[in-house]
Amino acid sequence: MPKCTINGKEIEVKDGSTVIEAMHDQGIHVAHYCWHPGLSVAGVCRLCMVDIEGMPRVQIACNTTVTEGMKINNTSQKVKDAVKWGLDFHLINHPLDCPICDQAGECGLQDQYMEFGKYDPEMAEKKVKKHKVMDLGPTVVLDSERCILCSRCVRFTKEVSQSNELGIFNRGDHSEISTFDGQKLDNNYSLNTVDICPVGALTSKDFRFRQRAWYLKEGNSICNGCSTGCNIKTYFNKEGFFRVKPVYNKEVNGHWMCDDGRDLYKFVNRDHRYLKASHRQESGWSQILPGAAAKEVSTHVKAGGEELALVLTGQYTTEEYEKIIGIFTKDLKTKNIFHWVNNKESFEAFDNLLIRGDKNPNTKGLLQVFEKNQISKTWADLETSLKAGAIKTVVVAGPENLKFYKDLDAKVQLFSQAKKVIWLQTAKHPALEKLPINSWIIPMKSFVEKEGSFVNYKGLSQKMNKVTTIVSEALTLAEAAELMAGHQISIKPDTHILTDADRPLDQVMSEHRKKNEFVFKRGTV
Amino acid sequence: MEIKLLSEHYSNPKFCELAGYEAFGGYKVLKTALTMQPQQIIDEVKASGLRGRGGAGFPTGVKWGFLPKNGEPRYLLCNADEGEPGTCKDRVMMEKAPHQLIEGMIISGFAVGSKKGYIYVRGEYFHVIAILEQAILEAYKAGFLGKNILGTGVDFDLDVYSGAGAYICGEETALISSLEGKKGQPKLKPPFPAVQGYLRKPTIVNNVETLAAVVPILRDGAAAYKKYGTEKSAGTKFFSLSGNIVKPGNYEVPLAYPLKDMIYKLGGGLRPGRKLKAVIPGGSSAPVLTAAEAEVATLDYECMAGMGTMLGSGAIIVIDDSQCMVDMLAVLTHFYSHESCGQCTPCREGTGWLNKIVHSILEGRGRLQDIDLLVKVADNMKGRTICALSDAAALPVLSFVTKFRDEFEFYVREGRSKVKGASHAQMHH
Repeated sequence: MPKCTINGKEIEVKDGSTVIEAMHDQGIHVAHYCWHPGLSVAGVCRLCMVDIEGMPRVQIACNTTVTEGMKINNTSQKVKDAVKWGLDFHLINHPLDCPICDQAGECGLQDQYMEFGKYDPEMAEKKVKKHKVMDLGPTVVLDSERCILCSRCVRFTKEVSQSNELGIFNRGDHSEISTFDGQKLDNNYSLNTVDICPVGALTSKDFRFRQRAWYLKEGNSICNGCSTGCNIKTYFNKEGFFRVKPVYNKEVNGHWMCDDGRDLYKFVNRDHRYLKASHRQESGWSQILPGAAAKEVSTHVKAGGEELALVLTGQYTTEEYEKIIGIFTKDLKTKNIFHWVNNKESFEAFDNLLIRGDKNPNTKGLLQVFEKNQISKTWADLETSLKAGAIKTVVVAGPENLKFYKDLDAKVQLFSQAKKVIWLQTAKHPALEKLPINSWIIPMKSFVEKEGSFVNYKGLSQKMNKVTTIVSEALTLAEAAELMAGHQISIKPDTHILTDADRPLDQVMSEHRKKNEFVFKRGTV
Repeated sequence: MEIKLLSEHYSNPKFCELAGYEAFGGYKVLKTALTMQPQQIIDEVKASGLRGRGGAGFPTGVKWGFLPKNGEPRYLLCNADEGEPGTCKDRVMMEKAPHQLIEGMIISGFAVGSKKGYIYVRGEYFHVIAILEQAILEAYKAGFLGKNILGTGVDFDLDVYSGAGAYICGEETALISSLEGKKGQPKLKPPFPAVQGYLRKPTIVNNVETLAAVVPILRDGAAAYKKYGTEKSAGTKFFSLSGNIVKPGNYEVPLAYPLKDMIYKLGGGLRPGRKLKAVIPGGSSAPVLTAAEAEVATLDYECMAGMGTMLGSGAIIVIDDSQCMVDMLAVLTHFYSHESCGQCTPCREGTGWLNKIVHSILEGRGRLQDIDLLVKVADNMKGRTICALSDAAALPVLSFVTKFRDEFEFYVREGRSKVKGASHAQMHH
């Protein structure tokens, strides 16, 4: 644990820490582009300059290991000038197209120039022309002129995805990122390159031009795409969710997430959701409010007993499982509770990075609650009982992300053998239209609309907070269970629809203002 | 006066063959060296004061001492990527005396405990590669290379590797990247090559002339070698004389030889009626000297450093009064912007920027503030990058602009060169 002095303050750092790591731990913002904690050190942007006592030249903080007694400073004029000029070198050939650039508002060049910039551009020569709108693959587009050649994306495909599609071609100021001959940037993690691109060079085909960064709010959650449980940040506004990015968690996903996980936000948006409960009668489907529907079905469910069955997918929170299983076993006196496993054969599959074969975020949590309540019935038991007509009413907690549930038609057919099917469902699926007469579809809240925890593949329980509300009338599984059992609970519809419920608006504003303070005092920089 | 420690027999065409080389005492030093302790050889080289002849002038024995004590494999690489504009000494050494280099490499390999060496030759020297390959073949046949050399139990294998013509591959870590089959780009230091070099193994990279000089040092002893030159610049060195001079060529002289004598005695002086304007003393990266400075300069590391320039690779480019300095600088800035590998931002963008500014001046679009801007840009490229190419591009700009500012100002004001009749270098994008 070497001791060192950073900007006059003596601190102790971890063995082997680099100067940039030590400074980040101290909350000192060091200008940088190429350094990324999840990648190897490239040392090419030359921005993280620091003065180290005894060294004649300024040094890069990312490739300098802290040694005992090192005296580090990044406030001297020498360092400031080096950073200013370093930024200017980045910008001399960079197009000034911020108004039409998708990265504007969250751009490393904009942010760092505001903080460290030179403010008197002296470049009067013609800029270097490079390729625009290069289609790198199914998910990513490259604008070479905006690229600052930090090489993060190249190192990502080399070191993390290990797919090696990207390289830097040509030399000098004609260097350009591209894919190797005949290759496409096409791997399960390709969109991470967009996240780590500090500028608007790499943009996501899914997200580009759909929203301005400053019109989006953020909220953290847990990805429900598989049993890894990547920590994510979701971006939304009153029009819905627009994208998902990974949040660093050393224990779970590191800095990354897979491309599949980034698509799941689509299932939570209104277009894809059941907004009202549907009841199929002889005369056809009729729609009522979800709470009312849950109360109405309680007449069929309340009787409980052996004629009632509950089917659960691993897509709900542990807290919801505890509630619904508690109510079904104790109040409704049924042990007919079953686990709907969608892709058993690939459950143990793993790509050695993040993607796991179990495409449910909380299979472990479900099984833990099963064990606690001594539920031991198998899927075969359900099939036999349904065939024999022993089960009259099935309550199904359907899957939230439909991408990995390919067998919905078959399941609808199977459950239709019961007289009544009560299907609790978040996202729309055409298969449900084939549910038999006397069936209900009751809309559920999605994972971003509720609190709770997911237990991931290795048994780590991760708590997530509610991000926002999209369908305010939709129920959580717990609420649905209470209402179906005939319990009296009061459900207040959310008033803060699609606003940050936990943070009042003015607080959001003041935080935003604080974050961007340098904008307001720009004149004094 | 020339002292031909290395080049004594270069005029003999047989010297490039094994038989000819042996006839003049070739490989005799190897035989004695192999009976010595490796440390003895290192000590002898240290004592000789030999400094790297590639450009940086780092003491060779000290460099060898950076290798970890144990651990194999370790590699000895010969840097024959002679790319510094104005330099052509390694080429002649390899053409005239390939066995000298091979002998030097076997001895050096033995000294540093390496069993495998590569000669990394610049791509344009394809005829040199043929000569080297022929010589290596002869050396293998004669038992000087391979397993159990001359029955001493020492092994050393040697191969030639052709570069592809990139200037940057003369930088030792870029050379290593290139040799590894990667894009020729310098690597971050630390780790240094002596610790983690070629294939992440301990590696020594030495210039052709450095490795060849090991032979006369061991032949005559460190003391005899040190007789030439000064305390800090010992021995002899090749200088490639070019530019506006009557007798351009390679000359082996003791270090601290007066630059004036090099130009006027060995070089035969300037063309009739011409006056000396400037001299680039150590390859195009070395800051330029004015005629007055050149009059008093001596060709050694200390004097050059004292004058704010460097001995570099020993390429002396003589500039007479028929040359336009703006025009000359344009050639240099174009070269460096073309050769920057593009890794580090200040160099990648800065070399291009410098080149554009100088060309703007040359094409009559220059502004007076551009002259100061050249200095500012160059100043901020210096010492900010992984390798020294950024400095190499900045230093000539700084020295040209400061020492010949009048020519730049004249060009900006008048839109033409101050030197009558100086032709525009037709640079080309």
